Amino acid sequence: MKIKERRRDGVAILDISGKIMGGPDAEAFNEVLRTLMHEGVHNVLVNLERVKWVNSTGLGILISGYTTLQRAGGELKLLKVTERIENIFIVSKLSTVFQSFDDEDEAVRSFA
Amino acid sequence: MNSRIELKLPSQMAFLGVPDAVLLELGSDLDCPRQVLEELGTAVIEACTNAMEHGNGLEEANAVEIHIEMHEGRLEVLVLDQGPGFDVDSWQPAEDIMRERGRGILIMREFTDRLDFDRAPDGRFRVRLVKNLDGAS
Repeated sequence: MKIKERRRDGVAILDISGKIMGGPDAEAFNEVLRTLMHEGVHNVLVNLERVKWVNSTGLGILISGYTTLQRAGGELKLLKVTERIENIFIVSKLSTVFQSFDDEDEAVRSFA
Repeated sequence: MNSRIELKLPSQMAFLGVPDAVLLELGSDLDCPRQVLEELGTAVIEACTNAMEHGNGLEEANAVEIHIEMHEGRLEVLVLDQGPGFDVDSWQPAEDIMRERGRGILIMREFTDRLDFDRAPDGRFRVRLVKNLDGAS
């Protein structure tokens, strides 16, 4: 998993590529969130457009991030979830938890 | 058409995508929707995750074996590890939607048409995942 970070209107956008599968990925993702929160950024949009697949351990990383940001008064939302990954969110019922957007402008505005 | 491919992976997460890539490659020559292959691939990734983590303790020397069998109208995948397995009959899906672990079996069940757990004749724990190629369950 690779993470590229950018900012828009106070929202951190994490462009993720590769696979989200736990192990070192969890530490990398948590480290990015820790840094953002240290800088006072608590609203994070995770762009999954270039993610090939997520396994159940990878889902755990996103859930952990969601919970961490929520406790800090922020939110974690998803952008451009592919059909393959969306199906995993649906069967695991996490589609009822994570807000997800196809349009980046709309997603960024939703944090306001 | 009855063909069989065997893969042998070290128990390292970095190799989890290999069987998925093989399935997608094989499927490009099969008359089935891509979603069918992706769903089977997702289920196989879960089976391999369990095999590497819980079965083989992420010990690189302990291999996970994956057998992909192509039959008329269906794909069957066997995943074998060195571990003790688990009590399938007592498994219940956890109710806490925000739990960080424990969705592997649920995902395998949802994305396959048949899912079995047993022991191979040589004692290894074995998961059998079956997917109909027409997408009908």
